[in-house]
Amino acid sequence: MTEQRRSLRVGIVCPYSFDVPGGVQNHVLGLARYLHQAGHQPSVLAPGELDPAGATLNVEDFSSAGAAMPVRYNGSVARVNFGPLSAARVGRWLRKGQFDLLHIHEPITPSISLLALWAAEQPVVTTFHTATPRSRSMQLAGGVLSAAIEKIDAGIAVSESARNVVVQHLGRDAVVIPNGIQFDAFAGHAAAATPERSSHPKLIFLGRLDEPRKGLDVLLAAGPLIMESHPHLEVIVAGQGHRPVPPWCRSLGMISEEQKIALLGASDVFVAPHLERESFGIVLLEAMSSGVPIVASELPSFLDLLGPAQAEGRLGELFVAGDHRDLARAVRQVLEQPNPLRTARAQQAARGYDWSSVGTAVLAVYRAALSAAPRNFAAKGAG
Amino acid sequence: MSLVIIVVLILGWRITWLATRVDRANARAERTWAALDAALVRRAQRALELVLLPGIDPATALLVSDAAAAALEPNLSRRDREQAESDLSHVLDAVVPTLSASTNKLDPERARASICRRLHNDAVATALSLRRRHTVRILRLAGRAAAPRTFEMADGPELGWLRER
Repeated sequence: MTEQRRSLRVGIVCPYSFDVPGGVQNHVLGLARYLHQAGHQPSVLAPGELDPAGATLNVEDFSSAGAAMPVRYNGSVARVNFGPLSAARVGRWLRKGQFDLLHIHEPITPSISLLALWAAEQPVVTTFHTATPRSRSMQLAGGVLSAAIEKIDAGIAVSESARNVVVQHLGRDAVVIPNGIQFDAFAGHAAAATPERSSHPKLIFLGRLDEPRKGLDVLLAAGPLIMESHPHLEVIVAGQGHRPVPPWCRSLGMISEEQKIALLGASDVFVAPHLERESFGIVLLEAMSSGVPIVASELPSFLDLLGPAQAEGRLGELFVAGDHRDLARAVRQVLEQPNPLRTARAQQAARGYDWSSVGTAVLAVYRAALSAAPRNFAAKGAG
Repeated sequence: MSLVIIVVLILGWRITWLATRVDRANARAERTWAALDAALVRRAQRALELVLLPGIDPATALLVSDAAAAALEPNLSRRDREQAESDLSHVLDAVVPTLSASTNKLDPERARASICRRLHNDAVATALSLRRRHTVRILRLAGRAAAPRTFEMADGPELGWLRER
């Protein structure tokens, strides 16, 4: 029973371009790093180019699927690939890699993910990141798409809400495994920063500035209401995209991972004002790991992380999504009645999402998928 | 005339394609069952190993070995097997928290069995939904093999154990 020790060649497909930062891209990089450390051989295929300076992935473990085309999609700007040229690149990568298993992220998007699923001959594990129903387009795309969905051997959903969409709209099932974080990187920085919390509290928002669904507008509407009782509040926003902000708000633009860690460690309240369809909320977890008190909108995926809305045991202050008055109330509550015990519990809960746990769970799904694979592939997973 | 030939060709291609999908779905349902069966057997074997732990009390040993032996009984009917595996889950739910060091070996096997069951039932659902199609039924594309069935049992933690480490 030494199956855990066998080294697997895992082909990982990410549909979104590495030229821009994003949750799925980060997840894929974290997964590849975990697999590498666990003695496996990951190879990532994604559009765009790997930034060698900031990347945690070996250059030889990365293949570019070419430049991606920006398309407005799912309320965000997605950069995607399609067409015969992309299909040919995917085919070459598959032949060259000789993978034991493919792990395809967000398979039902018009991208290299769907192309890889279509072309795959080896066992396929897929991860569903978004909780966006697409039943209408599913019906219209018809048999081709159903046949591709049937090729999935094991599904993973990043949250219960994402799983519900898989069950209801794809007619498939999925094991719920959350996204992973580097817990120690965030938690390590927090302790040093705590004594700073002062009469000039810092409020932080992380996320694209120009995407309405990230909810920055709600936060900016709430700002003046909060400042009535906290005139020295410092509001800091950081993320991609251009958007004018009022003078009392400091906009840092895009920041590096290190800057993000430092910023979270020095903040007094983290606000996640998202309006809809946030499938997981990795920044929320990173903030929880940093030991920052959380204020978040009542989205299903946030509730998954913070506990039920009514219960005393929830790990952050919740407010009605889109309601700036309620957001202001929640922030004032956190600033005026700090609850260090709750913040500590939130940090403890975030530890469970460290790659050491999440990666083990993903590997368990790989082994299960391989144990049910046709014989020529099953040899790797048997034992 | 040529139109008729084209229509026939397209129909033939579509039917072949559908038959391939039915075939693939049936094969996957069979393979996932074999994997689930193996995972359940391994779980029961690992449970039996608990009995060998130094210092285990005889009541616990008897409880676990009874449940594991019942699950390992050969030639159980499908329904009896489901019952026996559920009983083993319940016994393990009750016993495992009282033992500390031993659980590391058993928890991954329980998780594996639980994931395998999910994959199997998922594969069965796909196969059954293809079998329900008119074309598949009328042309008997599913062949003579019996329809696959989901395996229903109480299974313990799927991946919850990862969080509590």
